[in-house]
Parts: sequence; structure tokens; C-alpha cells
Amino acid sequence: MTKKILVVDDEPNIVVPLVFLMRQNGYEVRAVGTGEDALDCLSEFGPDLILLDIMLPGMDGFEVCQALREIPKGKRARIVFLSAMGRDVDIAKGMALDVDAYITKPFSNADVVEKVKDLLEASS
Amino acid sequence: MTPKNRFWWFFAVSISIIFIFFTILSIFFWRQLSPQEKVYLITLLKSNFAFIFIAVFLMLTGFVFALDGIFHSYIIPVVRLSEEVSVMQSVNPSHRIKIDGSKDVMRLVKVINEGADTIEALRKSVSEKIRTARSQAEEEKNLLASFMAELPQGVLICNTDGRIIFYNKRSRIFLEESPEGADPADAPGRFIGLGRSIFGVMDKNLIVHALDVLTAKIRKKEPVPVAHFVMMGGGARLLRAEAIPILNQEAALPMLKSGAPFAGYILILYDITREIENERRVQFLLQSLLMRFRGSVAGIRSAIEAIIEYPEIDADQLDHFRRIIHSEALNLGDTLEKTTETYNSEIESHWPLVYMPVADLLDTVGQKAKEKLGIKMTVNNTAKTSHQVRVDSYSAIMALLFLLNRLKEQTGAAEFQCTYDRSDLFLHIDLSWKGTGIRIETLRQWESQPLMIESEGTALTLKEVLSHHDAQVWCYACREPKELPRLRLFLPITAEGEVGPEEAGGISISIESRPEYYDFDLFNQPGQNPELDDTPLTELTYTVFDTETTGLDPKIDEIISIGAVRIVNGRLLYKENFDQLVDPKRPLPYESIQFHGIREEMLAGQPPIEKALPLFHAFASDTILLGHNAAFDMRMLQMKEASTGIRFINPVLDTLLLSAVLHPSQEAHKIEAIAERLGIRVVGRHTALGDAITTGEIFLKLLPLLKQAGLHTLRDARVASQKTYYARMKY
Repeated sequence: MTKKILVVDDEPNIVVPLVFLMRQNGYEVRAVGTGEDALDCLSEFGPDLILLDIMLPGMDGFEVCQALREIPKGKRARIVFLSAMGRDVDIAKGMALDVDAYITKPFSNADVVEKVKDLLEASS
Repeated sequence: MTPKNRFWWFFAVSISIIFIFFTILSIFFWRQLSPQEKVYLITLLKSNFAFIFIAVFLMLTGFVFALDGIFHSYIIPVVRLSEEVSVMQSVNPSHRIKIDGSKDVMRLVKVINEGADTIEALRKSVSEKIRTARSQAEEEKNLLASFMAELPQGVLICNTDGRIIFYNKRSRIFLEESPEGADPADAPGRFIGLGRSIFGVMDKNLIVHALDVLTAKIRKKEPVPVAHFVMMGGGARLLRAEAIPILNQEAALPMLKSGAPFAGYILILYDITREIENERRVQFLLQSLLMRFRGSVAGIRSAIEAIIEYPEIDADQLDHFRRIIHSEALNLGDTLEKTTETYNSEIESHWPLVYMPVADLLDTVGQKAKEKLGIKMTVNNTAKTSHQVRVDSYSAIMALLFLLNRLKEQTGAAEFQCTYDRSDLFLHIDLSWKGTGIRIETLRQWESQPLMIESEGTALTLKEVLSHHDAQVWCYACREPKELPRLRLFLPITAEGEVGPEEAGGISISIESRPEYYDFDLFNQPGQNPELDDTPLTELTYTVFDTETTGLDPKIDEIISIGAVRIVNGRLLYKENFDQLVDPKRPLPYESIQFHGIREEMLAGQPPIEKALPLFHAFASDTILLGHNAAFDMRMLQMKEASTGIRFINPVLDTLLLSAVLHPSQEAHKIEAIAERLGIRVVGRHTALGDAITTGEIFLKLLPLLKQAGLHTLRDARVASQKTYYARMKY
């Protein structure tokens, strides 16, 4: 069964290559632009892993993460922060929210793919 | 006892003694007489009663006159003599005795005056020598003082009790000043002054903590014990403070006492409001720059890596990725541009501008133009007055030199006329020359060039420098053949000092002071306590104050001005003064205007008494109130107790009463009379602050006399005043 990945980022210039990359690696991918949309499509789509940006319009990534962890399907999903906030304090704050990885932008495609693969294999 | 009383005592005693002698003599005489003689004498007396009565009456009258003559020519002059000699000896050596009396007394007066002349001359020559010797030390002290005053840091020195023993101007600004435009009455109680407690302006916990840190560091024998803390100053300033201990000799020894191991501490205050604000802004700028960069680079990297990794990618997708890379590359450039711009304007906005006379500015430009550019610039001041401009002198001079240099290059002129004049808002500096004019386009080009002359200058453009000064430059071509082409620089004019109220009025002041006494009990103020009462007069801190009022009746009249200065350690601190006009919220009677020279328009916009009184209360807290005829002023303050809730419980002393204690035989105890007697020049009579200062000076002259009279402590002075007060009330 193909694993499902949800990309949450409001920046199309990042979303497009990411979606392409994940599809090339054989995942089923969906992209949304806001945290609210991500929560809405959670039960219907049921992602195994979520690539989550922190600077989002409306709810920010930290809030989305917290909300996700409060619903069963969200609790099951792996969460990877993809963020332009690269200060140590931001990373620490993200990791404290029970996420699986924190990747700072800019990232190398290979690293992201590797991280995603690792996490999905460990969970199955 | 007043001289009059003394006379009647003297008279009564003399008369009774004479009467007693006469009676005793008569009794003895009567007993010696034989009965016939007695009968004869009685008949004789009876028949000649009128003669005898007149004789006795004349004798008595003669006696009274003689007594009065003796009293006035010998006794009173001698009593006054001693008072005046003591004035001469103690406070006013140039005072000379001028009293009428008998020849002998006059001779004595002459001798004393001559002696005083000799002593004064001697004293003068000695003090002259002392002065010369001191002047050098004084000079050095002044140098240090002015250095301290101009320091950009605030400096305060306190003893271990937290009493301020030194402060500079800056520290006062840092700690006292309220924000611009704010009502000073909103934050009463922030006063800095010698002898005041530091805890009035700083949080006690902060100081205590700093002292603990210092003590610990000294115990650990750290070479430079310093404690740092950050605090809020006046006007929402953020201050960084450094506390440095003043070590005393004993502190070097092992400490036996548990107290602080130092004699006091120096507080150095830095205003970091700006710095912090700047740092915050730069920090913010950097953060947003980093985030934008990360975002854009992420897009580019991800896209290009996908292209490289998947060469078989379809055309649409590839095209999409290319566009991403392109647009993010543009974003990056944009971000860079914007950040640089913001950063530059941040930097610019922190250029400090200083005031300087425009003539000085142009002189410097003229000299430099001659030295560096070979340009002769002559300056004409058509305004005939000096104007201050607010400039960053280096960049302003560079801007003018830059313009001269460009003009020379463009037109070939080497001689320039420089004139300056003012319009409403701007100072015009005109540069004119013989030759062709320049075009506006050329000037616009110059504006965008950096201010460089050969290799010297700044990277800022003329436009940036001008905009920082809120200045403009414009060129005028010649409209008439005679007129020279010119370039005009517009510089904003700074507001000059307004004409002070003391110069504004031309009202003559008639001197008829308020009545001497008022129904206020000066001697039972609640703030009196035994500890204060036993303090020597010279060690107390006083607030010398005076009020001006709309009239003389506290029940209906209002305060319109309060002035006060402080006396600390026997010194009058002229700079620590309080000078506040008060809006009485009622019209001023014409008679009172003649008296104090304050007119209604001067009171418009001044705070009402409800706001002014809390300020004065804070200013006077923990001090002895001192006034001349203080009962009147105290009564005025007391009348406002109900409406303001402010109660003055300070102990009160009155120079009028103290003067009366010392010189009971002098009749006049008005400020002018006392001041003249003590050799004090009266300045600013009938302004509240002026009178307060004179009263303070009088008090300082009275202090040694009080000591001579055996009045050492506050209690002594109070009790003596009270006696005189009632004494004077009776007559």
C-alpha cells in the first residue's frame, strides 16, 4: 500500500518541487496552503506523514502540530517540520512538540527523501 | 525684654527706691521733733501745701526727664551697641554702628568703628591671600566639575545610607525628567538633590541587591568590584547602571563590623533606551532577512536538485522548475535591496545633530575651501544677527564644500559670495558667483553623488545628508542681467529662547508687605519629633519657601506662585530650586498685580493648585520648612489641605521670629531691613523664588548668631521663636 504524504506550506515555489520529489519516490501526495486546510483533510486523506511549514497564514505550524496530536489520526501520523526559522530556540520548541524531525530550509532533496523513508519504514 | 519695658522697669525701681528713702528719712525727722515743732510744721505744711506740692512735682518731673535722658543716651545705645557689634563681628564685617547717644557713647562708637575698619582691612588682606592660594585648586576643581557635568553618563555618588552626596546634570535628566509633553504632576516625587535619598528615584531593592553583590565581590577580593543592573529612569528611559564601591581605609583591613565594607558607592548611569531599541530593530531585520533567504534558497535548491536528479523530467515540469528558480533568484535580490535600504535608514536616523552658530559653520567652510579647493568665499551676514542651526557639523561642512567644488568645476568660478538670511522657517545660505548659472538637472545629478572631494569625504550622498538635516538645495538663474547666479541652501531654523516673563512686564512694584502675623500655630507641627528637635541647626536640611498670593486673606485668596530652594549642610543650593506658577482659577486683583508683577496671561495654562501642591510637597518632604513670616504661607497651604489632601507636617522655622529673637531692640524685621543689616543684596524681591533665596541667605547669616546666643538645636530655635512670637503678639 502506498504511503500518503501531506505537504503543508503556503509557498508554491517550495511545494511544487516537494510534491514532485515525493511522487517520484512513489508516495501519494497532497499539498495544502494553510493549517486549517490540513486539519480539514486529515480524516478524509489520512496521511502517514506530514511535512509541515511553521510560518503559515492563520494558524502557525506549532499550533497545527498541537491540534494534530489531539486527534487519533493526527496522533498516528509522522510529523516533520520544514522551516525557515533556523534558530536553535525554534528547533528546540519544535522538537518539544513531539514531532519526528525538524528540517531547516534550505534542505537537500536527498536528505528529505531519506528522512521520510526512514520515518515511514520505522512506523510500518 | 524690649527697650520700652526695660525703661519702665528702671523708672519704677528708681522711683520706689527714692520714695522708700524719703519715707524713712521723714520718719526719723518726725521722731526728733518736739511736740511744738510738730504742730508748727503741720501748720506750715498746711498753709504752704500748694508750694510744696508744686516743688515735689517739679522735682519728680525733672527726675523723670533726667532718667529718660540717661536711658536714651546711655542705656539703650549701649544695649544696641552690643547687638550691632556682634553683627559686625560675626556675619557682616562691613556693618558700621550708626546710633545716637551721649558724647561718651558716641566716642565709644567712633572707637569701635575705627577698630572695625582696621580689623576689616586686615581680614580683607588675609582673605585676599587665601583666595589667591585657593584659586588654583578651585580651577582644577572646576575643570573636574565641568567635565563631570558634560559627561554623557549620569554620575551619582551616595553614602551607604543612600544619601546623595554628588550628582551631575545628566543623572538628573536621566532620573527626573518626565517624558516630553507629559504632565509633571503625574509622576511626583522624583527629585534628585544633595542630601536626598537615592531611594526616591531608584527602586530600593535594586540598590540593596547591587550592594550585596559588591559586598560579596569585595569579600572575594575581586580586583575591580562592580555591580550592574538595568532600571527604568524618568520618561520611560531604560538605564544601565554600574555601581562601584568607594573603599575606605578600614575596608582594606579584615572586616570586624557586619556592615558594608565601603564608605559609599558611585552609580554610573547609561541611557540604553536607544541602544536597546536599535538592537531590537537590527535583530528583527536580521531575523526576517534570514527567513526570507532560507525560504528562497530552499525553493531554488529543491528545484535544481530535482532537475539534476531526474533528467528524464517532462518539459512542463522542467519549465515550472526553471520559473521557480528564476522567481526565487529575483526574490533574493529584492530582499537584499530592501534590507540594505532599511538598514541604511536605521543608521542614518541615529546621526546626532548639534547646535552651532551658522557664522562658525560658514567660517570653517570658508577656511577649508581656501585650503583644499583654492576657492575664495566671502561671508556676508545680511541678517545682522547670529542664528543657531542644528547640524552634524562634519557632513554639513562636507556638503557645502562639495557644492563649492562642483560649482567651480562646472562654471570655472573661483570666488564666491556667501550670504545668509532667515525667512519664517528656514535659514537661507546663498552662494553666488560671476558667470553662468547651473541647471536643475545638473543639481539633481550632484544630489545623487557621494560627498567625496578627492579622497576625503563620506559615502553618503548629498541628498541623504540634506534630508537628514531636513534641508533643501535649489539653484536660481539670473532673472536680471545685473544679478548673479546663485545656489540656495535651506536649513531649518531652531527655536530660539523665548523672552522670559521677568523681562515682559514693566510694572513698578510698591513695597508694602503682608502683615506680620497670622493665625497659624507654627509651633505644634505633627512632624516634629524629639530626634529632630535635638539635631543641631547646622545639620538639618531645610526647604526655604515663599508664596505669592492674590491677596492677604487666606480665606478667600489663592496661591499663584510657589518658590523654594534647599539648604543642605549649611549651604544654599541655588540650583535645587522649585519655581512654579499656579493658576488660581480666579481673576487677579489689580493691587496684587502691582505687588508681585504676575499677570493673568502668565498664569494661563499653569497647573492648578491641586497639581502644583503635590509637587511642592514631594520637594519639601523630610525637610524643615523655613519662611519669612512663615505663618502666613503655612496658613495658605493649610487652606488647601481639604481640597488637595496634602498636609504639610514638617517642622517650621521663621526667619522673622529668629531675627526678633536675636535683635529684639531692632524694630524692623522686614526682609529688606534684615537683609541690609546682615549685608545681603536683595535680588528678585516679590517673586516667590527670589524671596525664598533671600530668606535662605538671611537664615545662613543668622545661624552663627543663633549659636552665639546659645541656640544650637531645632528645639532651642523653636522655643525661643515661640517666646518672641507671643512677646510680639502682646504689643
